[in-house]
Amino acid sequence: MKKDGVVYTVLFSFLVAFIFVFFLSLAYGATKGKVAENKRLIMANAYLSAADIPVPDPAKAEEIFKKVFPDFNASAPYNEAMVNGRDIIVSPFQGNGLWGTITGVIGVTKDVNTMIGLSIVSQNETPGLGGRIDEKWFQDQFRGENIKNGIEVSHGGGTGDTDPDNGEVDGITGASRTSSAMEVMLNNKIKMLRKELGGGN
Amino acid sequence: MVDTPAKILKENVWYSNPVFIQILGICSTLAVTNNLMNTVIMTVGLMFVTGFTNVTVSLLKTLIPRKVRMIVQTLIIAFYVIIVDILLRAYLPDVSKALGPYVGLIITNCIIMGRAEAFAQSNGPLLSFWDGITSGLGYMWVLMIIAFIRELLGFGTLFGFPVLPAGMTHWTIMVMAPSAFFLLGTFIWVAKSIMLKAEGGK
Repeated sequence: MKKDGVVYTVLFSFLVAFIFVFFLSLAYGATKGKVAENKRLIMANAYLSAADIPVPDPAKAEEIFKKVFPDFNASAPYNEAMVNGRDIIVSPFQGNGLWGTITGVIGVTKDVNTMIGLSIVSQNETPGLGGRIDEKWFQDQFRGENIKNGIEVSHGGGTGDTDPDNGEVDGITGASRTSSAMEVMLNNKIKMLRKELGGGN
Repeated sequence: MVDTPAKILKENVWYSNPVFIQILGICSTLAVTNNLMNTVIMTVGLMFVTGFTNVTVSLLKTLIPRKVRMIVQTLIIAFYVIIVDILLRAYLPDVSKALGPYVGLIITNCIIMGRAEAFAQSNGPLLSFWDGITSGLGYMWVLMIIAFIRELLGFGTLFGFPVLPAGMTHWTIMVMAPSAFFLLGTFIWVAKSIMLKAEGGK
């Protein structure tokens, strides 16, 4: 067969593509379970962090998760749980950051007046700047924050806002756009939860 | 011209370094070098992909019709990159999350296709593998130096461990991509000066 002929070229391209894609699908199939497990683990850790439940070993988060949220429904807009005698709501949120979509989980009390916690599941913000929304100091500022009037991510000293009553948290220096994006998406979520739960003022 | 492994190593790591002589793979040089850990994973990934792409292209080179040569090379590169992506996703989910789309972008790294075209098309599989690995090495050490400076000044850490005093003001510019331009420029200047000096001394 002529090597530069049409028949050989078409046959060769087809065969090569077939063989490589075949091996890829094998690799994909072999790791599918593991990938799904990692994803579940990330979500379990995010929900537990938003509910302010300490997880001593992140790899075992799923066991604690099942105890705290026995009737968890991933497709519901929010899920309820009883933590330390308080009725709390956890709900996933998402919104536009500077470069891409930010997704996370928010935890609030059932009257939507106090924030329990916040965790970020995925983000594509600038590493080291907006990407710091992943960091503990930023997320810890939200714990116990009074959100009767929504939340405000403000310019501050850059060390974190420790006053839980003012509804303010420190933004990230050098990442004003990400900080205000967080403010918008959290306030939208708070408003939405208030509407669904019919409470709050 | 017969290429010996030692000569290939010298060429790829210094005299024709893919980054500062051939100016290839600059996109990732700017993107991933603000953090040493990400840089290590990215460059190891590239080394792996370049090495195995070269072997595969070299093995198939007599079978590939000229008309579809580039397409087949791209297919082979994409195959190995997706393998790397799948492995990271399954076994190093944190790294996979941190690198995000950059792993997929290894496909577009010109170093890989450059080596496949320039070397693997006309050399045996073993030598091609060595060429790919050393090209990756040449890419790696340059990126590591840039990442070292950027992470140190931008975050005050190395591999995530704080090394500079906590009171130090972090250089925000070092975290942003433009700083890699300045550092790479300086790096090329220094490397070229050393190279010219060595030539002059002969």
